Amino acid sequence: MWKTVLRRFLVMIPQLFVLSLLIFVMAKFMPGDPFTGLITPETDPNVIEELRIKAGFYDPWYVQYYNWITNAFQGDFGDSYTFKVAVSSLIGERALNTFWLSLLSVVLLYAIAIPLGILAGRYQDSLLDKGIVLYSFISYAIPTFVLSLIFLFMFGYHIPIFPTSGTVDVSHDPGTWGYFWSKVYHMLLPAITYALLATTGVIQYLRSEIIDSKSMDYVKTARSKGLPISKVYTKHIFRNSLLPIAAFFGFTITGLLGGSVFIETIFGYPGMGQLFISSIASRDYSVITTLVMLFGFLTLLGSLLSDIIMSIVDPRIRIE
Amino acid sequence: MKKKNWFLVSMLLALVLVLAACGGDKDKKNESSGGGDKPKDEEKIDTSAFPVAVENNDEAIKGGTLQVALVNDSPFKGIFSAELYEDAYDSEIMAFASNSIFKTKEDFLISDEGIASLKVDADNKKVTVKIREGVKWSDGEPLTIDDVIYPYEIIGHKDYTGVRYDGDFKNIIGATEYHAGKAKTISGLKKIDDLTLEITFKKLSPAIYNGGDGLWGYAAPKHYLKDVAIKELIKSDKIRKTPVTLGAFKFDKIVNGESVQFLANEHYWNGQPKIDKVVLTTVPSTQIAEGLKAGKYDIATSYRSTNYDAVKDLENLTVLGRKELAYSYVGFKLGKFDTKKGENVTDPNAKMGDVSLRQAFAYAMDVEQVAEEYYGGLRTRSNSLIPPVFSAFYDDSLEGFKYDPEKAKKLLDDAGYKDVDGDGLREDKNGKKLEIKLAGMAGDDKDEAMMQFYLQNWKDAGLNVVLTTGRLIEFNSFYDKVKADDKDIDVYMAAWGTGTNPSPSGIYARDASYSYSRFTSPELDKLLANIDSEEAIDPEYRAKAFKDWQVYMAEQAPVFPIYYRTEIMPVNKRVKNYNKDWVNESDLNQLELTAEEPIK
Repeated sequence: MWKTVLRRFLVMIPQLFVLSLLIFVMAKFMPGDPFTGLITPETDPNVIEELRIKAGFYDPWYVQYYNWITNAFQGDFGDSYTFKVAVSSLIGERALNTFWLSLLSVVLLYAIAIPLGILAGRYQDSLLDKGIVLYSFISYAIPTFVLSLIFLFMFGYHIPIFPTSGTVDVSHDPGTWGYFWSKVYHMLLPAITYALLATTGVIQYLRSEIIDSKSMDYVKTARSKGLPISKVYTKHIFRNSLLPIAAFFGFTITGLLGGSVFIETIFGYPGMGQLFISSIASRDYSVITTLVMLFGFLTLLGSLLSDIIMSIVDPRIRIE
Repeated sequence: MKKKNWFLVSMLLALVLVLAACGGDKDKKNESSGGGDKPKDEEKIDTSAFPVAVENNDEAIKGGTLQVALVNDSPFKGIFSAELYEDAYDSEIMAFASNSIFKTKEDFLISDEGIASLKVDADNKKVTVKIREGVKWSDGEPLTIDDVIYPYEIIGHKDYTGVRYDGDFKNIIGATEYHAGKAKTISGLKKIDDLTLEITFKKLSPAIYNGGDGLWGYAAPKHYLKDVAIKELIKSDKIRKTPVTLGAFKFDKIVNGESVQFLANEHYWNGQPKIDKVVLTTVPSTQIAEGLKAGKYDIATSYRSTNYDAVKDLENLTVLGRKELAYSYVGFKLGKFDTKKGENVTDPNAKMGDVSLRQAFAYAMDVEQVAEEYYGGLRTRSNSLIPPVFSAFYDDSLEGFKYDPEKAKKLLDDAGYKDVDGDGLREDKNGKKLEIKLAGMAGDDKDEAMMQFYLQNWKDAGLNVVLTTGRLIEFNSFYDKVKADDKDIDVYMAAWGTGTNPSPSGIYARDASYSYSRFTSPELDKLLANIDSEEAIDPEYRAKAFKDWQVYMAEQAPVFPIYYRTEIMPVNKRVKNYNKDWVNESDLNQLELTAEEPIK
């Protein structure tokens, strides 16, 4: 198995290389550059030109690419053109925000979705089941930004129990309990919004797996041996029904860093999704390319993780 | 089957929910605009009616915290240095703790009211900057003349990567040598004593009184920054996390990209502020109206004027307004930029080369109606390329191109642009089809609708105007094309922010690559030279030179202005002594609050 894992990592290298080439060239094809937005009658055009020359924008693309990739290999992804800090520290800061928010969202997501999915599957066709299915379709159909705005205006302004923007209150000092709690408090509303919207997949998978398992032979065997029904559910059905969810778990873990553009923008929460969109708008090449590379790497890693997790939870599957 | 039905029902329910949500919004909107059945005329906004200062005669509370909303959909950059920042939001934040040493009076001329005063010796091309005695930085250290010199050494340094080492800066004697590393100091800067600096320039123009020609208007705390290499300065915590400043408030805590807490600066030279704290928070544009209504914020900066409807009837606010230092304009492509010679070359045979055609094009546009219908009066038709804020230079007697379709038609008829083949559209002077390609910038739905309105205007005058690329163009592509003199652009619509130095040379001179119309003439050269000449140090001469230039530009119409914009600032009713007038903006230390919390 470890051999396979190693091989998969080796295969990633050419994949990422092609991705880097594509994204680098396509980013340069975009009209404008990071300095276009700086132009006012008070900025000297010669200065802007000098900046472009200094940044190497007039070199042929393969020279620029070579410079970039050799630096990237040494862990230097350059400086952001708009934020003027190293890309790695910029992304590090945002990734941390996004990571905690996503983690809380995912925890909430499973906390809501797993019980609901189990109940719906166990009491199939009851009023409860119908209610849960209805809920899951409604949450599936509501666009993210609509629910975000509704929640924000309801719980942020009309019944002001949650903060409305940012990741932390400015009055706290880092490292204190107040600071920590303020961070969690700021995450709650966006995390709940996200969790409520994302439950559909988990609920539906779990529900239908449980319904299928109910008529399986091993369930019948267990029942005929005299096991109580609740034990059959917890010991036999539940574990098998989680398999399709485990299949995506690798992606869920790596997806923690992706961020959601809508949630971040509406709640004013500086994270990765938002950084990606704004870096495209401002043509911040170094940030765009680094982020795409990171997302690409995470996706590949996610699929590998999913395979490994599957082989652990389902002994029938072997990675060879 | 059963399942399917459920699916349908839930879809329907979801749809109802979404529609209900939309409906809710709409109701609110109607409410705030006072019912939709009013006749249109009553909703017209008289932009001159916006106050520039709050009127609040209630008794002030002691201290208090001012809540400021910075309306911005992305995090701020957080470069708190006048020499290094590039983002306008950073400068809005810094305004509370500004390192500015000059104050300005009408027309943005430097006055004697600030920390420093300016004396100009035009004959010897020298100026003397003298700072007040006893001014202190926010850390208690005294301000010395070295702090006034240090910004020059930052900007001029070979490791400086910002945009301010420009043509103006090189006008200081010795700046280029210092930049090249040949000199340790800038020879044109001479420290007379601890409070006085003498600067020698290569040439002086009237712009010196506006802080132009290379003069720098900010101090930098040398005692605090001198240990940081210039190369590292922009990333250093001394700029980003704990800046030392001169303004009424000082930075206390910063959450990168999100919020800043300022405390009253007890060392402020003009007297300690009356309030204790300012908390500035980044607020997404979707939330700001609701936040103001709920009394979460006292002041919203960078509030978008297109969202005026959302706040105009709120009882707890006063909406301040002032004219922006900007104008929107239409430009005609009349030539190319010769990069080798570094100058604009006008092509006498350009499609839009005929003055009558250009004037007719302008007269055919009903700008006033668009300003009213689409902008609710927050934009007004402009008559000149100088915004009226510059009262001494602005020519209010100019008529501009007021909508006159008959005049447009007559001009075209007389110039020989006639409809030969009877399709309702005019042909050019040689009887060939005339298709005018116009580039416009994409924005929101309004821009699309407005453009269609103008296209119809031109059609009514018999001009066949089509959009370059067939639709409005995204900002970056737009400027790429306009700058490169794309052959598919005959006309373009754009805007300029003018800044506080009104001299138009930077965007209309022969060697200005920003002169996207590429219009040049010996007459224009002369008029522009007059504006910045040494004689123009005499204000009357300069005012006349400005007027002559405006008249000439109106006659030739290589570009013509379309709107002036009004920026608005919603302010909570508990704020007292707050004035945003360009001419006598109030000092922040005077600001007071009349209630513990913002009024709801």
